[in-house]
Amino acid sequence: MKSSPNTRRLTAALVATGLALSACSSRPGGDSGTSGTGTFSVWDPYPQFDGTSEWVKVIRKCGAQAGVDVERQAFDTTDLTNKVLLAAQQGTAPNVLVVDNPVVSTLAEGGVLKSNQDTGLDASGAAPNLVAAGQTGGQTYGVPIGANTLALYYNRAVLSTAGVDPAAIKDWVSLDAALARVTAAGKKGITFSAIGTEEGTFQFLPWFWGAGAQLTDLSSAEAVSALELWKSWLDRKYAPNSVIGNTQTTSWQEFATGEYAFAVNGTWQLGNAKKAGFEYGVIPIPSRTGGVAPAPAGGEFVTVPAQSGKDEEATAARIANCLTSPETVLATDTALTYVSAVASVQQQQVAAQPDFAVWVDAVKSAKGRTGDGLGTRYPRISQPLWTAVQAALTGSKSPKDALQAAAASAK
Amino acid sequence: MTRRSWRTVVGVLLTAVMLFPVYWMINVSLTPADRMRKSPPDFLPTAPTFEGYARVLNEQLPYFATSLVVASGTVVLTLVLSAPAAYSLAKLRPRGRRPLLFALLVAQMIPGIIMALGFYGVYVSLGITNTLWGLIFADSTIAVPFAVLILTAFMAAVPDDLVQAARIDGAGALRTFWSIVLPVSRNGIVTAALFAFLWAWSDFVFAATLDSGGSLKPLTLGIYRYIGNNNQEWNAIMATAVVASVPATILLVLAQRFVASGITAGAVRD
Amino acid sequence: MPRRQAVGWAFLLPLVAYLLLCYVYPLLTNIDLSIRDHTVRSFVHGGAPLIGWDNYAKVFADPAFGPALRNTVVFTVVSLVFQYVIGLALAVFFARGFRLSVTLRALLLVPWLLPLIVSASTWAWMFNSEAGVVNAALTFLGFGTVDWLTSPDWSLVAVTIANIWIGIPFNLVVLYSGLRNIPAELPEASSLDGASRWQAFWYVTFPLLRPISGITLLLGLVYTLKVFDIIWIMTRGGPSGSSTTLATWSYELGFGTMLPRFGPSAAVGNILIVLAVAAGLLYVRLQRHQETA
Repeated sequence: MKSSPNTRRLTAALVATGLALSACSSRPGGDSGTSGTGTFSVWDPYPQFDGTSEWVKVIRKCGAQAGVDVERQAFDTTDLTNKVLLAAQQGTAPNVLVVDNPVVSTLAEGGVLKSNQDTGLDASGAAPNLVAAGQTGGQTYGVPIGANTLALYYNRAVLSTAGVDPAAIKDWVSLDAALARVTAAGKKGITFSAIGTEEGTFQFLPWFWGAGAQLTDLSSAEAVSALELWKSWLDRKYAPNSVIGNTQTTSWQEFATGEYAFAVNGTWQLGNAKKAGFEYGVIPIPSRTGGVAPAPAGGEFVTVPAQSGKDEEATAARIANCLTSPETVLATDTALTYVSAVASVQQQQVAAQPDFAVWVDAVKSAKGRTGDGLGTRYPRISQPLWTAVQAALTGSKSPKDALQAAAASAK
Repeated sequence: MTRRSWRTVVGVLLTAVMLFPVYWMINVSLTPADRMRKSPPDFLPTAPTFEGYARVLNEQLPYFATSLVVASGTVVLTLVLSAPAAYSLAKLRPRGRRPLLFALLVAQMIPGIIMALGFYGVYVSLGITNTLWGLIFADSTIAVPFAVLILTAFMAAVPDDLVQAARIDGAGALRTFWSIVLPVSRNGIVTAALFAFLWAWSDFVFAATLDSGGSLKPLTLGIYRYIGNNNQEWNAIMATAVVASVPATILLVLAQRFVASGITAGAVRD
Repeated sequence: MPRRQAVGWAFLLPLVAYLLLCYVYPLLTNIDLSIRDHTVRSFVHGGAPLIGWDNYAKVFADPAFGPALRNTVVFTVVSLVFQYVIGLALAVFFARGFRLSVTLRALLLVPWLLPLIVSASTWAWMFNSEAGVVNAALTFLGFGTVDWLTSPDWSLVAVTIANIWIGIPFNLVVLYSGLRNIPAELPEASSLDGASRWQAFWYVTFPLLRPISGITLLLGLVYTLKVFDIIWIMTRGGPSGSSTTLATWSYELGFGTMLPRFGPSAAVGNILIVLAVAAGLLYVRLQRHQETA
């Protein structure tokens, strides 16, 4: 080996940059606020909002009103539950926690959250069907910050070339007929997300509930018919095979190509829909025999975790009340494109944006996933359900067998 | 002569096949969002957009700096821990070192997720999540066992005469280590440093677990931001990826030769 | 020489402390998690009852265990074989220098440098059923399209291909330098003896490469067994578990659902570690056997 001066230079350079850089890195990085230090920590699942966003300004304002500094941290939704559990185990849970609604009852029963009664948090302004997700054991935990749900987006141009009238879609039969005409016209039918995560279950539920099935009985004939509907779409090429791996985001991107007639997607895509470059419309998801299917309520709760003292919990509740108060929540819900949980704010939203009315209606008839007395059992049901959906759509099991296996493992 | 150019042609073809995904990454980074899902896709960026790169420059530079600091810090920490240990294992050979060597081998096999879970609990109670030091420390666990094994193999190749001579001259163990063994082992050190840098640079599991809440995020989380959120912007993802591979590429091309000899020494001497 | 012993251990002390802190502690936590029956409440407030091997029994009895173990073995073995064979073929090819060989060899290292999250995303996009370039190429060549990531028959193949691609450069670099260390006269001498090139490679060069092949495969094994990012980003172990390995299963149990199941997750992680240690021991034995033989 030829010994070259390059090596020495390189090593020296590596070591030198390393030293120089790590020397200046000793300044304290984003400190994880601990309770009782005058700095209150707020954790949320909105990493898309950075320090300059409206949401972060609202947090600071609410902290200032309660007389404390706030330190905000954003996590991916899927990470947040684990992070909170681990933090709570170490006694350093955040002071205020914004968390996905189906997790609230689990955290509450785990003793991570304080009830509204204990802290003075007030959920009376929010719609009861939305608050339900935060109720367990006769207590309410937290306040919904807003809600989203699912509906059917459609592409006007594709429907009109195929001669389909969206207003005529009232049940599964008319939807199937519309899909048949669209695909016969050489366009693509419908895209949705059937990925093996909570998103997949979330998207399946309107069809599941719309068939009349209950989460307490995964293998009922109604449940099987819902899964058979999805399976038949794949078999007849009404829906692309990619739905099996689609997240709601990638499913939306398929719809945004302009090739698809329909997409099952959420309130939060409204902003993107306006940028899609074609005319779109929104109709509620039909139930099997006609009428609007109950769609699952999405969206987060602002909650107060257990802390070192009553005073801190009361201060945290003041911040949480401020975050969900009608005066501040409009800006937050607008930024998230959520439907507010508060009736008066919903009216302001519709006044500002008339096409929002369909979503407000959809949220009013939306159903909590942890409802039907499921509470903490929901996660144990949701996972077998999405597993069954995947097994049926990939053809590895029949819808019936898949759901029977799911029912067995959900017990 | 013709034989040789025949080899060149085959070599170019093989390289082209192997690097096609990299080409595809660059191609996608230049594709406008509305052409992204075209079927069949465009094989050439016929209507290139630099939107993705503009976003990278606007949004990713702080992440880039974080990654650089973390990766360099990991290099320093890894070397500080592993070089003295390797010297001892190779030259001082204290009793009981064999179990230690086996423990190092096993340590390399523990999946990152298990480590990350353990770290998170400790970090939260110490309040050092979302700090550069915390991430440097965690990232070093990917590299330290490997670095010790490589450096041990390397230092074992240093002739004992050299070490003896230094001792006769009155040099203590520390002096021998610092002024004799360390300089002679520089290929091994470059190898260990390079791997430590690359692994820390591309780490995702530790970053996602330990650093995702604050503002000090490394580049891998910057990319993940484009993947995980409500919009999957492939041209931004791929543009970040292209930019992210630049420092690593430079380093590896520069240090390639030393790396090769470093690993070979490890194999021969194991 | 007690003084030398002491000095030796003094140099090792920081490393030993580091190992105890960074490896032994998380490992013990993980073992503790795996032998207790954790609920969310007991995870936070303590007091989870000891249940011994129950979590392990549950994991072994789970219908997902068999496929996950099989996928892990297939993924690891197929990846190792292809990475090694392709890496060795390239190394042999490049061992005789030719014009551009140095540049091309450097370029071939690029797959190794990309952060895994990048390579995995790129492959996921290339394998996309609808707009992926792989299917476009298959159509162009007159084959049918394949649902690489969404068909249970293909998802493991897709993630394995991506993993092989990532691993080839490492094998190439190491085996290439191994080849360079073999004195050129040896294979040449055997060629003079009338051996064909292939025979010269097979009977002379390849056996001389054995020690370096051993360490290459061992390191490959260690890193492949715990591969998680690639599979998680490309398929999340799906569809319906068809590309789930022990590493992704452990993650899925612990982090993938709303309600973490820490006990079983830790148990799967520990099973994976036991497998890895077994492979390490096997390697050490083989090596010793070789040395004495």
